[in-house]
Formats: sequence, C-alpha cells, structure tokens
Amino acid sequence: MLDRTVVSLVSRGILTGRRTIVLALLALLPVIAAVATTMGEAEPGTAWARLVQRLLIPVIVAFVAVVIGAGTVADQRDDGTILYLAATPLRRSTLAACAVLASWTAAMAIIGPSMLLSGVIALGGEVSASGLLWPLAGAALAALAYCAAGVLAAMLVRQPVVAAVLYILLWEGTVATWTPSAEQFSIAAYGRAIAVRGIEPVNAPEVGALAGGVVLIAGAIAATIATARRLTRTELP
Amino acid sequence: MSAGEPTVVFDAVSRWYGDTVALAEVSFTLGPGVTGMLGHNGAGKSTALKLCAGFARPSAGTVRVLGADLSRDQRAYRDIGIAHDREGLWPHLSAHETVAALARLRGVRDPAAAATRALATVGLTDAAGRRLGGFSHGMRQRVKLAQALAHDPRVLLLDEPLNGLDPAWRRRVVELVRELGEEGRTVLVSSHVLHEVERMAPRVLVLVDGRLVARGTTAGIRDLIDDRPREYRVLSDAPRPLARELLAAGVVDTIALGPGALRVEVSDIHAFARAVAPAARRAGARIERLEPLGEDLESVFRYLQDRARGARR
Repeated sequence: MLDRTVVSLVSRGILTGRRTIVLALLALLPVIAAVATTMGEAEPGTAWARLVQRLLIPVIVAFVAVVIGAGTVADQRDDGTILYLAATPLRRSTLAACAVLASWTAAMAIIGPSMLLSGVIALGGEVSASGLLWPLAGAALAALAYCAAGVLAAMLVRQPVVAAVLYILLWEGTVATWTPSAEQFSIAAYGRAIAVRGIEPVNAPEVGALAGGVVLIAGAIAATIATARRLTRTELP
Repeated sequence: MSAGEPTVVFDAVSRWYGDTVALAEVSFTLGPGVTGMLGHNGAGKSTALKLCAGFARPSAGTVRVLGADLSRDQRAYRDIGIAHDREGLWPHLSAHETVAALARLRGVRDPAAAATRALATVGLTDAAGRRLGGFSHGMRQRVKLAQALAHDPRVLLLDEPLNGLDPAWRRRVVELVRELGEEGRTVLVSSHVLHEVERMAPRVLVLVDGRLVARGTTAGIRDLIDDRPREYRVLSDAPRPLARELLAAGVVDTIALGPGALRVEVSDIHAFARAVAPAARRAGARIERLEPLGEDLESVFRYLQDRARGARR
C-alpha cells in the first residue's frame, strides 16, 4: 500500500520547498502565545487548554497540514514530477497514500515540536505527559485528515493552496471553532475532542475522543481513496 | 501478449477537450523498431504520446501498449520507458539518485547499477553525483533519457528527445535511438523536425491538426514532400513577357501576375529550374529574385493533410 521510495521522494520535495519554511515560521506563533500566557493571570492549565482549542488545532494544525497536503500534489503536477511517479507499476492508490503520508510526516515535523514546546512553556510547573500527549494525538489525527483533504483538493481544484487557505480562514478557524452546531462538519473539532482528554475542558466539543479518532481516520482513508480514483481518471499534465 | 503482435495499438482514437479536437480517429499499430511521429507544434503529437503513456484516456477508441490499457493497469510500466517533454525532475536529487529511485520503482533488482549504466549511456557518468538543479537543459534531457532506459524497457516513448541537446549529443542520441530500435525495442519518437526523424526512424507517422495524414517509410514520406507542387515568387523588371515564356515552356501549372512579380506554381521543380533562365533571356527580362513560398514545415504538413483529404474523397 505504501512505497518507501515514493514517500522519500515526495517528502524531500516538500521539505526543500519555500512554503515549508513559511509554515515553520507560522508554527512559532503558538510558542510566542505560550510565552504571553505565562505573563497573564490565567491558570496554566486553562491557558494551555485555550491555546490548544482555539489556536493550535483549529488554526496552526489546520493551516500547516492542509496547505502542505494541497501543495504536495499541486507542486508535482506543476513541475511534472507526477509523470515520473505515474509511469511506474505502482497502483494509483499507493501514490495517493504516499502523498498523504509524506505530507503528514512533514506537517508533524513542523507541528510536533511547536506543540510540545508551547505546552511546556504554557504549563510550566504543571506539565504532564497526558497534558502534552493527548493534544499531540488530537493534532496528529487532525493533521492526517487535513493532509488527506488537501491532497484530494489538489486533484479537484486549480488553486488548491488558495482554496485550502480560504477554507481555514472562513470555516475551521472561525465558524467551526466558535459555533457548536458546526462542530460535526469540522475536522478540527474531532481533533479537539481527542485533545480535551488530557487538558481542561475549555471550549470542548461534544463528541467523544474515540468517535473523534474514528471519524478522522475514516475521513483520511475516504479522501485517499477518492484521490486515487481521481488520479486514475484525471489527465496528467 | 504473444510474439508478433503489435506492441502499440491505436484503434480509432479521438481525444477532445470541450470543442477542441486534439486527436481525431487516429489508428495505427507499432511493432519493434523506431517510428517517428512528425507534426508541427499543436498537431497532436504530445496528446498521442500522452495517450500511449496512459496519462490520459481517449474520448473515443482504444489504446493498448503491450496489450494493456495503461490508464487502468499500471503493471506494464515495468516494460515501458517514457521521456516526456516536461522539464520536471527533482532538483534537489542527484542524477544518480533520480535514475536509481525510478528504476527501483519499476522493479529493477539492482537500481544503483542500472542507474550507473544508464547514465554512462547518456554520457553523464562524471555528473552522476551532482544535483539536477544545477544541470543545463541538455543535461536534464539526457537524465530523462537515462531514466527511460534504466529498467531495460521493451517500449520507449520519447517526446522531442533532441530538444536542448548540443549538436554532438544530438548525433549521439540519434545513434542511440537507432540502436534501441535495432535491438528489437519498439520506439516511438516525436519531433517536428523532419530531417531528425529521417535519421532516427525508418517509419513515420505524420499528424496534422490531430489527424493522421500520412504514414509509411520515412523515404516515402520524403518523396511525397519532394514531389508536391511548389510555389515561387519571381521578382522581375518584365513580369508579363517572362510569364508568357514560362507558360510557353510548359514548366508552370499556374501563374499569378502582380506588380513587378510573378507567383508561379510548379509540379516539376527540376524542369522549372532548368527553364527559368532561358525563358528570362527570351523574354528580355531580368530576374531580380526567385524565392520559394510555403517551404516551412507547417505548409508541408498542410499539403499532406490536403492530399489525405483528397484521397478520402
């Protein structure tokens, strides 16, 4: 289902791109925010929960993962490298799955350190394994779904990165974060549902962590299958 | 697929994009050896190769390579090498890493050794460890060729493989393509330059505006092109008497008189060349200039298209 060579080729393509540097800089934002919370009056646990629920998962994770996912396939189509990968005996589902995995790996390489560092800073003396790992798990599964959605978007629209940014700005970061009734249509809400197991229930979604995990994994698989089908039918440049 | 069966089959293939017809009911079969696909820019060569390579599906008709529809069944790519006309290669990888990675994906047991051999074939042994981002256009073109050869394919699809190469490497690649054909591989090579195709391919397909207008031996197509009626513009100080003499000599099919110039159509170019100077002497005319019209490739292809239309009628 996965091919190490393809994942390596795609990952190296992502990590050497300028877009990744910009996203890595964006991932510094939660660290700065965490430093700011230590200067405020909020309890460390509450401040960290707010940071996870309002900034990290719905904005930073969403933005980084969906833009990397969309950019990966869009760049391959633009520069023509997709033709070399397509002219191999690998199944189209393998190519799609490798693109998602490579995007997710790159996204987590940016998100993971940022998340752990901001958690350690925000929690200070109250830092705990569950306080860091549950949010990280929620971010990881949300990132997987976002990457798969981004890769699929690259097969469906002409400007997938622009579409991804608009999606984050107009939906995930605003309406879906602040409107409880919109949660069931938000990838971030399911990620936040997992994260809340290890942090204080601030702005917590109603869905449970297990259901959140199942929805995110199922969504990622469905998007990958849809990408593979689209890859079979779409004319390559 | 059994021996003797054609390796590439195009059966009534059409491909259209909205109202634009890129390829119209093109049928041909290819077996071992080199076949040139000739046509002006926009004639449909790249679309035909894309369909062959499985990167697009025909709007109508069927395409089979080694018995497989590549857009649905990717296994046959083990035996197919493709050098397409897009620039895209991974700029952060070295030539050797690129060719070895693609050979590995195509099931080669020792991809590193295969990459070394393929890069030696295209003269890039010394540059094998360098990143592609620093390569010239010609060197990248040779890397594209190397990755198409590394897995020892039975079918090669080469889109404008001489683009960007210097004269020495153009000659070397022409020889290489010929050798690949002589080894019994099926090679389909596209070009818009007739004399390049002539040197590589004993057979040729000519596409004009998405239609297959001629096919056969390269020598046969060359004869067709050489024998076609030609138009010349003759600038003279006495065009009317000159026209009279040329008509009397029976070497022109039609003449159009203009101010200070004639426009003549001739079927037998050699007879016209022999007769034009004596005719000018007899007419007391001085020929200031004699220039051929419609000698660009597009005109040549257009002639073949008109000829094919006439044959269809």
